[in-house]
Amino acid sequence: MVDFSLAVEKGERLTILGHSGCGKTTVLRLLAGFVAPDAGTIVLHGERVSAEGKILKDPEERNLGMVFQDLALWPHLTVSSNLEFGLRARGVPRREREERVRGMLQLVQMEDRARARPAELSGGEQQRVALARALVLEPLALLMDEPLSSLNLELNLRLRREIVRLQEELGFTLLYVTHSREEAFEIGTRVLVMEQGRVERIGSAAEIRAGIKELRN
Amino acid sequence: MGRRATLTLAVLVLAAVGLLPLAGMLGRSLVVEGRLSLASYEGLLASGRQWTLVRHSFALAAWTTILATAAGLPLGILLGRTDLPLRHVFVLLFSIPLAAPPYVTAVSWLAILGRQGLLATSLGPAVAGWTATQFFGLPGCALVLVATFLPIPMLLAMVHSRTVNPRLEEAGRLVTGWTEVLRRITVPLILPGVLLAATLVFLLSLGEFGVPMYLRYDVFPVESFTQFSAFLNFGAATAAAAPLAVVTFVLLGLEWGLLRREIRHIQPRPEGEAPPQIALGKARRPVFCAVTALGVLLVVLPFAALFIQSASPGVYLEALTRAADSLLRSLTYAALGASLLVLLGGLLGYLIHTRALPFWRGADLMTLLLFAMPGSVLGIGLVSLWNRPGTSFIYATPVIILLGYLAQYTALTSRITVGALAQIPAAMEEAAQVAGAGWWRRMVWIVAPLARQGLMAAWLVAFIFCLRDLGISMLVYPPGRDTLPVRTFTLMANSPAHLIAALCVILIAATLVPLGLLGMIWKRSGGFRGSA
Repeated sequence: MVDFSLAVEKGERLTILGHSGCGKTTVLRLLAGFVAPDAGTIVLHGERVSAEGKILKDPEERNLGMVFQDLALWPHLTVSSNLEFGLRARGVPRREREERVRGMLQLVQMEDRARARPAELSGGEQQRVALARALVLEPLALLMDEPLSSLNLELNLRLRREIVRLQEELGFTLLYVTHSREEAFEIGTRVLVMEQGRVERIGSAAEIRAGIKELRN
Repeated sequence: MGRRATLTLAVLVLAAVGLLPLAGMLGRSLVVEGRLSLASYEGLLASGRQWTLVRHSFALAAWTTILATAAGLPLGILLGRTDLPLRHVFVLLFSIPLAAPPYVTAVSWLAILGRQGLLATSLGPAVAGWTATQFFGLPGCALVLVATFLPIPMLLAMVHSRTVNPRLEEAGRLVTGWTEVLRRITVPLILPGVLLAATLVFLLSLGEFGVPMYLRYDVFPVESFTQFSAFLNFGAATAAAAPLAVVTFVLLGLEWGLLRREIRHIQPRPEGEAPPQIALGKARRPVFCAVTALGVLLVVLPFAALFIQSASPGVYLEALTRAADSLLRSLTYAALGASLLVLLGGLLGYLIHTRALPFWRGADLMTLLLFAMPGSVLGIGLVSLWNRPGTSFIYATPVIILLGYLAQYTALTSRITVGALAQIPAAMEEAAQVAGAGWWRRMVWIVAPLARQGLMAAWLVAFIFCLRDLGISMLVYPPGRDTLPVRTFTLMANSPAHLIAALCVILIAATLVPLGLLGMIWKRSGGFRGSA
C-alpha cells in the first residue's frame, strides 16, 4: 500500500470497495494489528497502535471486533462457547457472561442454537454467529472482511439488511470490505474505492455511485 | 497392470508380509503336541511374575508417554511456530536419539550415571552408586525412552500446529494473548494428532525390549525374547507377546474409532499462506536458554559422554575390526529396505491420499498397526511363518530381514507420501490423464517427479529406521548375517565399555548423515506440510 490515508468517524459505516488483490484486506489486518505498516502510523481513539514496522499495541488490546471472510468459527467450541471465549479472556464474571451471550444470540435470532457446533449450522447461521461473536465484546469498531461473499444472493441480501439494522441499533463503527458494488452502496454510508493499494476515491455512497455512472456514460 | 490392480496388490503384499506372520504365530501357539490347546496361555496371568511383568510394562509405557508428550507438545509448538533462534538445529538435535537404537542412548547415559561413569569421577563413588542404582530400573528406562521418543510428539505437534487455519487463531488474538490462544484454540484443534503421538509413544515403549533388557527391568518384550531365544519355547514366547499384541489392537482401535470421529471440521490453512509466527518477545532469551538446557541434558551430554569414553583411534580400529562386516551389511540392508519401503509405502500412500479403493482406510490402519506392533512380536511371527524346509530361501537369507522391515515400517513411507501428494494439485495428474497417459505413465512422469522431495525424505526416514532396527533383526537374522545394532547388542554382555561406546558412536554416525540430509530437504521444502 502506498500513500494510504484514512480517518474513520465514530459510529459511521465505511465500506472499502476494490478488486481482489488491491489491498483492502490488508487495511483491516493493519488495523487489527496482525501486521505492522512498513511506514506510517495507525491511530485508534487518539492512541498510536502501530508505527514504522512496529506493533505498539497487540490485537487483543485494541478492542476491535472482526468477522473474517471464512468466518473462522472455532469448530471445537459450541456457539455459546464461541461467544464466551473473548468475554472469559477479558475476565467478565460468569453471570454477566451468560447474560451477554444470551442477549447477543437473541439479537441475531440464534438463541435456540446455543449448544450447536459450527459444523451443524447453515451458512447463514454461521454468519450470524460470527457477527454475534464479534459484537458481544462491544468493540470500538467492527471490521468485516467480505463476510457475505460465499452466500447465495437471497441470503446475501437478507444479511446485508441485518448488518445495517444491527449497526443502527447498537451504533458501532463499521469498516466493511467487499468487491461487490451493490454490497458497498447498500451497507456503507461512506465508500472508499481502492486500486493497487491506493485510495482511488472516497465519498458518500451516493457520490461514489454517481461518479461510477458518470464514468460509464 | 492398471491402478486398481496395482494398489490391491500392494495391500495384499503388506497383509502377506505383516498380518500373515501374526496370524501364523497365533495359530502355532494354539497347537500343542498336534492338538488345539490353550496350554501356552494358561500360565499367562497365573503367577506373580506375570503380574510383575504387567505392572512393569504398563508403568514404563505410561511414564514415558506422559513425560514425552508433556515435553514434546510445547517443544513442537515452540520449534514449529515461534521465532525461537536455531529452530532447525534444535529439531535435528532432539531427533538424534530417535534415529539411533534406544539402547545406544542407554549406553550413553550409563557412561554418565554408571559406577565408572563421569559422575563417579567428578562427584565420587557414593553419588555414582546411588545414580547407578536408580538408573537400573524404571527411572533409568523411562529417562532413556523419553529422550528416544520425545521427537514423535514434538514432530507431530510441529506439523499439525502449522496446518491450523491462521484465521481461527487470529480470531482468538483479537481478544487474548498467544498463550491463551494456543491453550484453548490451537491445542484442542490438533488434539487428534497429539493423541496419536501419545498412542504411538505408549505402544513403542510397551514393545521396547533393548533398553529394559540392558537396564535389567523385567517387562513383557524381554520375557518374550528370552523365552524364544534362550529356551526356544515358542508357545511361551507367543503367550508373553500376546498381551502386547492385544493392547496394540485395542489402543489403535480406540484411536481409530473414537478420535477419528472427534476430528473436527477443521478449515485447513489456505494454500501458499504461511502460518503466523509467534513472536516470543521478552521471553525469547529465557525460552532459548530453557530449550538449549533441555537439548544439552537429553542429547548433548549423554552422547558427549559416549564420545569421551571412546576417544581413542585404537578403540575405533578395534571396533571396526570386530564389526565392519556388520556395518556394511546394515548399510546394505537399510538401503534395500528403504527402497522397497518407498515403493510399497508410496503405493499405499497414493491409495490413502486418493481413496482409490473402498478399503483405503483399512490399509492405513494396517500400516499403523504393524508400525506400533513390537518388533519382537513381528520377529517371532516371521520366524513362525517362514521357518519351514520349503521356505529356507527366505528364512535362511537376509530376505527375512527385509520382510520384517516392510512389515514394520511401511507406515512411515506411506504417511510421508500422503503428505507429499497433498501438496500436488489434483489437476496435475488429471491433465496427464486427459492427455491420454495411462496410470503408470502418470505415476512415473508426473506424480513421482512432483513428489520427489517427499519421496526422498521417505527413503531417508526409512533408511534410518531400518539401520537402527533391533527388535526384528535380533530375532530373525540368519547365522553370520547380523546387523550392527545386533552385533553391538550381543557384544554388550562381555565387552569393555569403551569398545561398546565406539560401536555406538559408529552407529550414530551412520544415522547422522541421512538425518543431516533429511534436515536439508526439510529446510528446502518448508517442512513437508501435512506430512503426518
